[in-house]
Amino acid sequence: MKEVLKSEQNASAVKHLELAPEAERPYLDSDELILNMGPQHPSTHGVLRVILKLDGEKVMGTECVIGYLHRGVEKIAEHRTYAMFNPYVDRMDYVAAVSNGLGYCESVEKLLNIEAPPRAQYIRVILTELNRMASHMLWLGTHALDIGAITPLFYTFRDREEILKIFEKYCGARLTTHAFRIGGCLYETYDGFEDEVRKFAKFVAPKLDEYETLLTTNRIWVERTKGVGILSGDDCKALGVTGPVLRASGVKWDLRKAQPYSSYQDFDFEIPVGTNGDTYDRYLVRIAEMRQSLRIIGQAVDKLPEGPVMAKVPKVLKPPVGEVYHSIEAPKGELGYFIVSDGSTQPYRVRVRPPSFVNLQALDKMVRGALVADVVAVIGTLDIVLGEVDR
Amino acid sequence: MPQWLQSTVDYVTKPNSMTPGWYADPIAGMIWALVYILIIFGGVSLVVMAMNWLERKALAHIQVRLGPMRVGPHGLLQPIADAIKLFIKEDIIPDGADKVVFWLAPVAVVMTAFTVYIVVPFGPQHAVTDMNIGLLFMLGVGSLSVLGIIMAGWASNSHYPLMGSLRSSAQMVSYEIAMGMAVVSAVLMTSFAGGGIYGTGGASATGGTLSMIGIVQAQAQQGTWFVFKFFPLGLLAFFIFAVAMVAETNRAPFDLPEAESELVAGFHTEYSGLRWSLFMLGEYAAMVAVSSIAVTLWLGGWMRPFQSLHGPNVEIPHYWSGGAIDLAAALVPAAIFFLLAFFTFIGVVRMPKHPIFRVQTAGLAAFGLALGAIGLVLLAPPVRDRVQDIFWFVLKVAVFMYLYIWYRGTFPRYRFDQLMHLGWKFMIPMGIAVLILTGALGVMAQ
Amino acid sequence: MTVNKFLRTIFLVDLLQGLALTFRYQAPKEIYTEQYPLQRPNVAERYRGAPRLNVNPDTNETLCIACDLCALACPEHLIVVTSERNEKTRRKELTTFTYDLSRCMFCGLCEDACPTDALELTQDFELAAYTREGAIWDRQTLEQGPQPTVYKK
Repeated sequence: MKEVLKSEQNASAVKHLELAPEAERPYLDSDELILNMGPQHPSTHGVLRVILKLDGEKVMGTECVIGYLHRGVEKIAEHRTYAMFNPYVDRMDYVAAVSNGLGYCESVEKLLNIEAPPRAQYIRVILTELNRMASHMLWLGTHALDIGAITPLFYTFRDREEILKIFEKYCGARLTTHAFRIGGCLYETYDGFEDEVRKFAKFVAPKLDEYETLLTTNRIWVERTKGVGILSGDDCKALGVTGPVLRASGVKWDLRKAQPYSSYQDFDFEIPVGTNGDTYDRYLVRIAEMRQSLRIIGQAVDKLPEGPVMAKVPKVLKPPVGEVYHSIEAPKGELGYFIVSDGSTQPYRVRVRPPSFVNLQALDKMVRGALVADVVAVIGTLDIVLGEVDR
Repeated sequence: MPQWLQSTVDYVTKPNSMTPGWYADPIAGMIWALVYILIIFGGVSLVVMAMNWLERKALAHIQVRLGPMRVGPHGLLQPIADAIKLFIKEDIIPDGADKVVFWLAPVAVVMTAFTVYIVVPFGPQHAVTDMNIGLLFMLGVGSLSVLGIIMAGWASNSHYPLMGSLRSSAQMVSYEIAMGMAVVSAVLMTSFAGGGIYGTGGASATGGTLSMIGIVQAQAQQGTWFVFKFFPLGLLAFFIFAVAMVAETNRAPFDLPEAESELVAGFHTEYSGLRWSLFMLGEYAAMVAVSSIAVTLWLGGWMRPFQSLHGPNVEIPHYWSGGAIDLAAALVPAAIFFLLAFFTFIGVVRMPKHPIFRVQTAGLAAFGLALGAIGLVLLAPPVRDRVQDIFWFVLKVAVFMYLYIWYRGTFPRYRFDQLMHLGWKFMIPMGIAVLILTGALGVMAQ
Repeated sequence: MTVNKFLRTIFLVDLLQGLALTFRYQAPKEIYTEQYPLQRPNVAERYRGAPRLNVNPDTNETLCIACDLCALACPEHLIVVTSERNEKTRRKELTTFTYDLSRCMFCGLCEDACPTDALELTQDFELAAYTREGAIWDRQTLEQGPQPTVYKK
């Protein structure tokens, strides 16, 4: 089996996956197997390579090799103006493009010290929460597919279609939305926006119940996900893991409540928190988050204020010299933008703190001692998008 | 001539205990057996193709999509297209593979899967042969397919298939034990003399049998399908067998060895083209075979539901006795074909009116007419009477096939250790308990 | 375990609920597939699809004033606008307009930047070309739109 380690690159990547000392080896003294869940794999959500050190069926250690989707987004940022860079951020976490756009626009607005008008903020909230639902739906479908339930994928994608139709009607694209501009939203809502959003909310609430019927109480699902990939709250905080993974481990931390942005303080919603920090809890937390998103959307559509949708922003953006770090609660965790400006029209440095990249660090801790089938479940439950991990 | 040669010739040419009772003369018997074998071979292959289509369509509808629609109307010719594609694919053999074993593995799987059909009873006289150990033969030969799977994984010279084949064989062997427990309790029920659901007349000296036809006849004699005998016990045994047979054939929710998201495709990863299609053929044939065991043992084989409600004449087959209920039941096959023809014509009406679809619409209409014609043929009394047994048996097996597809579309899959835990720590103890209780209840004299 | 939970476990209630749900979904009215070439999707009005250079419908003159704002706004720098100065009207007139669709992100910044509504991203999404050069559109293709071959079958 060692022929997997043919190239030097492989060898150097696994050199610190040392063999356990004699005393700790299982008495059968079976050879420890290095298994390569290679970049092309049906269930590593993108091009992620995970090198597993197995002892029979148990995982002794993992090593993630990333970079297969690196496109140099942060370098591109240094050669584009602030407004020009906006379409590029959608392509990082391509599943939740609206959140990426929101984070970037808010960071630049913080740098410029302007605030989007209230109507624009409400529209941003509506679209971001819709995007949160879309991202969680995609996560649910693919996670269930990895665990073997092949139908929830189609149900969640069908419901996600409705969200994407709303996006298409609003900003013109379904996936890489480029919905917001620096200073607000470019587009006014289209005729019938509120009605469609309300209709969607009514349509999707029973669908969430259907997903739960198929999965939440299903004994096979519970057995596959309970107790798998346990991550304690302290480990989460030590590794910097955020988002639903953190909340499922018992830590009640959500940036929408802790550091409210974009008028989230006006809305009444709860933060679902789990207890055990296993895969089942993460599943429950994300389903609950979807329901809370529906609540926020309902309130925002009812209370949508009148007014302009774009603040007074100069045509040529030249922020003052300085740096800013602003983070939002993306569907996958804390998405942060660190922008350094040197006074010119192009940023000096844009550093993106992707939630998936930081969450992926927890993979090793979560799968030690688990079986190979669990590795797939844990990668799924971390909800990583390689576009974000590699940028 | 020498004695051994004489006895061999005698065995072949003179009637003996192995000759099926209803063949008048051994040579004719062998020729008829050959004819039946060819019919079954063609029939099973046809069933496998139909299963392929049904699986894709039913799974697609469960997943709110359409499935194949292009090749033939509503994808009806898709299995033919798939078969042609697989035949003309390049035959790739991995570099370090053991060529003989690599070639032999799919052959072993398909052979064992098809051999079990010689004892499957489609009717009291409709089987290739009626061995008095028919059930044991089916279970035994069916177990040989594990050998084929291990050979496939070993000969592929790659660690994914090896792991997959070892897991698959471990799973199949463990669930065979549970299957065996359930089967033994059903066989035990054949030896009871009491009739009715809770009849405990004690064991009869001549009742018990392993012959497949004999088991169904025992159910007829006791007046109840074994799934209802001693009410929860028969059902429990049936349930154990139903779960174990899904695990035995490596289907969801027990299909981890074939799961795409983990081991790419398990033991048949390195097989392509015709060889892979042989594995699929073997898998579907095994599904139909274990379903027919389940139908024979618990669901009354070829008996129609409510067989005890019959006309004045009590001899078997009831439909010849002419009672009203029997006549109504005898018309069910024709009714089902008319129903299918009706759905086909609804499909014809809903076809898009674009000129591209003219050929497809015509083809679908022709298919509907063919189904209707078969229904009409089935109305004629001579055909109607002869086809009853086969029809009910095939209908019950078809329900099982649909259940397989339904499970696949609904359930996540078990992890391997959970699967083994279920098999060893839950199914087998339950099977033993059911067996003991069945035996205890059965020998209690009234 | 409470009695209720025990009964639900042995009678497989959770599994049966899942089976009932998937059974219900097999009704033909639940099918969500659109059979593409015959059923075309309803594309929204604001959809950012193929670019088009609009012309004045009355005079058939291009609305583009060759201000080059779209080329400056494009993040990928894929628009090339050339113009020449018309001595009589002392304005710039558009000569060539090249748009490289193979690198376009369809972000819409060029459409936002255009002051005269000349450049517009339409609802056309069927943009395949056989060659790389076929994806670079000149002024004529931009004004007329792509003319795909309509197949009979």
